[in-house]
Amino acid sequence: MTDLVGKPATRERRSRFVIALVVGLLTTLVAAGALAQMGKGGLIGKLEGPSVVTDPAQFPRTLKEAPQLAELVKAGKLPPVAERVGQDPLVIKPLHEIGKYGGTWRAGFTGPADFWNGFRCCSGPDHLMFWDYTGDKVMPNLARGLEMQDGGKTWLLQLRRGMKWSDGKPFTADDFVFWFEDVYRNKDLVPTPSATLAINGKQGVIEKADTYTVRYKFPDPYFMFPDVLAGSTDLAGQMFGYRAMGGFAPAHYLKQFLPKYAGQAEVDKKAKDEKFDSWVRMFLAKNDWARNPDLPVLSAWKTVTPINTPTWTLERNPYSVFVDTAGNQLPYIDKVVLTLAENLEVINLRAIAGEYDYASRHMDLGKLPVFLENQAKGNYKVHLDPGDYCDLIIKFNLNYDADPEIGKWFNTADFRRALSLGIDRDQINETFWLGTGTPGSVVPVDSNKYNPGPQYRKLWSTLDVKKANEMLDKIGLAKKDAQGYRLRSDGKGRLRIEIMTLGGQFVQYTQIAEMIREQWKKIGIDLQVQEVERSLALKRTEANEQQLAAWNNDGSEHLFTFPLHVFPYELAAVATSGPHYVKWFHSAGAQGKEPEPRMKELMEKWKKAFGVPEKERIQLGKDVWRIAAEEVYIIGVVGQGPAAMGVRVVKNNMGNIPSRMYNSPDGKTPGISRPATFYWKN
Amino acid sequence: MLAYIGRRALLAVFTVWAISVLSFVIIQLPPGDYVTSYIAQMASTGSVVSEEEAQALRIQYGLGQPIYVQYAKWMRQVMAGNFGMSMEWRRPVTEVIGERLWMTVIVSVAALLLTWALALPIGIYSAVRQYSAGDYAATFVGFIGLAVPNFLLALVILYLGFVLFNAHVGGLFSPELQDAPWSVARVWDLLAHLPIPALILGLAGTAQQIRIMRANLLDELRKPYVVTARSKGLSEWRVILKYPVRVALNPFASTIGYTLPYIVSGSIIVSLVLGLPTVGPLLLKALIAQDMFLAGTIVLLLGVMTVVGTLISDILLVWIDPRIRIEET
Repeated sequence: MTDLVGKPATRERRSRFVIALVVGLLTTLVAAGALAQMGKGGLIGKLEGPSVVTDPAQFPRTLKEAPQLAELVKAGKLPPVAERVGQDPLVIKPLHEIGKYGGTWRAGFTGPADFWNGFRCCSGPDHLMFWDYTGDKVMPNLARGLEMQDGGKTWLLQLRRGMKWSDGKPFTADDFVFWFEDVYRNKDLVPTPSATLAINGKQGVIEKADTYTVRYKFPDPYFMFPDVLAGSTDLAGQMFGYRAMGGFAPAHYLKQFLPKYAGQAEVDKKAKDEKFDSWVRMFLAKNDWARNPDLPVLSAWKTVTPINTPTWTLERNPYSVFVDTAGNQLPYIDKVVLTLAENLEVINLRAIAGEYDYASRHMDLGKLPVFLENQAKGNYKVHLDPGDYCDLIIKFNLNYDADPEIGKWFNTADFRRALSLGIDRDQINETFWLGTGTPGSVVPVDSNKYNPGPQYRKLWSTLDVKKANEMLDKIGLAKKDAQGYRLRSDGKGRLRIEIMTLGGQFVQYTQIAEMIREQWKKIGIDLQVQEVERSLALKRTEANEQQLAAWNNDGSEHLFTFPLHVFPYELAAVATSGPHYVKWFHSAGAQGKEPEPRMKELMEKWKKAFGVPEKERIQLGKDVWRIAAEEVYIIGVVGQGPAAMGVRVVKNNMGNIPSRMYNSPDGKTPGISRPATFYWKN
Repeated sequence: MLAYIGRRALLAVFTVWAISVLSFVIIQLPPGDYVTSYIAQMASTGSVVSEEEAQALRIQYGLGQPIYVQYAKWMRQVMAGNFGMSMEWRRPVTEVIGERLWMTVIVSVAALLLTWALALPIGIYSAVRQYSAGDYAATFVGFIGLAVPNFLLALVILYLGFVLFNAHVGGLFSPELQDAPWSVARVWDLLAHLPIPALILGLAGTAQQIRIMRANLLDELRKPYVVTARSKGLSEWRVILKYPVRVALNPFASTIGYTLPYIVSGSIIVSLVLGLPTVGPLLLKALIAQDMFLAGTIVLLLGVMTVVGTLISDILLVWIDPRIRIEET
């Protein structure tokens, strides 16, 4: 009986090993080929992009529009373009040249959960403020300007006069007050207030100053506010409308779904008729940019067939406020068609076959050689957009207490540092990033304003097996078993550490962890790799059952709007550095566990930065990263690579395409390159 | 006969009920619920859902209630013909499944017909000409077909199709006809896309059916009634087709029981690889996302199909094979 049970398991293990071996071998071979090609191709270009014109003297005098809209105007079905755009257009200088109207942009998506896909390409972006193409400077966007008053406690947001929703109704300060009073403050819709609308834990308020001016008032100075409006936060436009966030909402349309305006009975009946469980679910569905074609929007394109159908189609918004420097209302391209692909292999194969016009999401770096091989056949060009962050990090759970011995080592700085020194980052970079990444610590790219200095890239982040072994011997892990693995200090056998990984992601976490497992044998550390499904990962981090976890820290290049992979900030995470610290941080010490002094210092500096002017903030940011690199709470492995959405496949006849773009969730890449200015050359 | 069918039908209803309970429980088994998998999904795209928000979502979806309450609520809805809202697709379950059901039926029926069209003649030939070169060839090809996992075959064919013929990759329609209303062009497009999935889905089944047909027929061919028929001077083909083949068909009839659910679920992995808009990938995704009502409805549908299929094959067997007697009570 035991035999019967035992056999399949061994067989499975063996076959998994063989598969791993074959995959590894293939990847290496393929890598060699790709590298040879890359030298010539120059796949990583110069960072460039369009810019927002803020000088009214350079604004276009007259406005033009797409031919089909001109016809509608002629037929009297649409007001003239100048009336639709308003007095203060959002003028964008295209990267290379003024484009031509027309055409369709074909791409793929993987289902209703893939809604970031459309926001990134087609929302405009519709943030009130937004980044310039470097991802560093905050520029006016849907809002004309942002003025600080009262030492950072009050912010005045100036809207564009005559700007309209996609149904032609005016976009005014009333839409902000409506959102704040009736949506954000409705406990059924928003059970927990957003941290973005608070400073030092104290909530701010939104008021109407006049029709085109919105006033934000905070109890303490909130110097970070422009960044918060520009980043992918709760105040970042209609993207988070599906969870009642956004900072504004179309009052004239949504009132019919709120009990306050339409009456409880009426709203309940409507919800029942449309088969919703409750009016809350109906309201959220109606306020969903990707799902409700009737929702008035401000984005460049708007949803026509929703995301929960096999084809997600978006068409030009006739009231789009975006125009180019020649006065052409944007976007140039008429229509974006995203077709449902059941799995990532199909999406990749379709891109390779040239069936997509522009694709970067879901493109697999491991398939780079195949992409390159078919460039001519598919009439496309491959660009690489490395991110500014670390593509692979390993988090130590500093609160792990299920096994006190392991918890003790995780809280020993030299243990963490030694493990980091035991990783051969070059091998991993060559195998999985085809040499396109940068090995090193967790700190963001050198050009980032919060980067503490080039020496921190390598700090505790180079291969040094000898030193690692010495350090581990010294801290009390000198004894080894017959196989050369270190023994626990409590006499309970070998020191075994588990790493949790997720499959089916942009980065091949499991395979890389297997490689690290081999590398750590040389420092006598026995690593067990456990691939789990996403929900299980979440359950385990929340229950404090995770030891190590592999993930990436994308977003952390915007340290203050995206801190969750820098220190323990978020409870619901697929990789945690310590759930008790999260509780401690958010309850101001009332709950959870007090962190060790250096972690505490890091957290305090991060928190302090929100209320100080930029110069001081930059210093604090550098300090945060310095501590992170010195203490190695999180091991950085390989970063600044194109693994996450950085392999871009674009048709040769698409114009205004940057040779390299800023790749980040906060930049809604490719949104930061203003896809509304992309066009078909012929 | 009627009493027999009645008894069977009654048993079938009970089985379906048991299936509904089981499927509901099994879907609940993995740790977490739709909200956890939703949060995890958010996390892997960089968004964050707070604990309070998660709690509110659980209340909205009724996930906080004990499992039997959730089951009772669901069953009440199902009885009224409302299968609930898919949490992930945020549309009524019937709508989500409906549009894919027909595609699934078309693909699977094509695969099934292809299987039978190939397997029956080859099986008969292999049995009648046992140990001939043709028999060996069919056996060889058959075993290869049985041994190669069909998802691998799908990948290879997909790649070859792209490299050699520049064929459209995956799916059942060309992109431009994806959403078009039904027309002659769209039907033609569907037919043009059909052979590859049908072949891949049908191949393993074909190999199996060839072996079954061959083995059964070999057993029958040696029986005295065949010799008798032959000695009466019937032509060889008439002898074989009229008697032993008819008997050898029994297993085909009894496999209808699991053929029906197969028609609905298709082969999940092949559909996934080929990007077919069928029910299979939907079920897989629903299970991963713990989309209770969608997964539950599909599993229930499969259960009902199996039960109905078994009922049909029971009746068919009685009809084909007079030797199966119904004991009257």
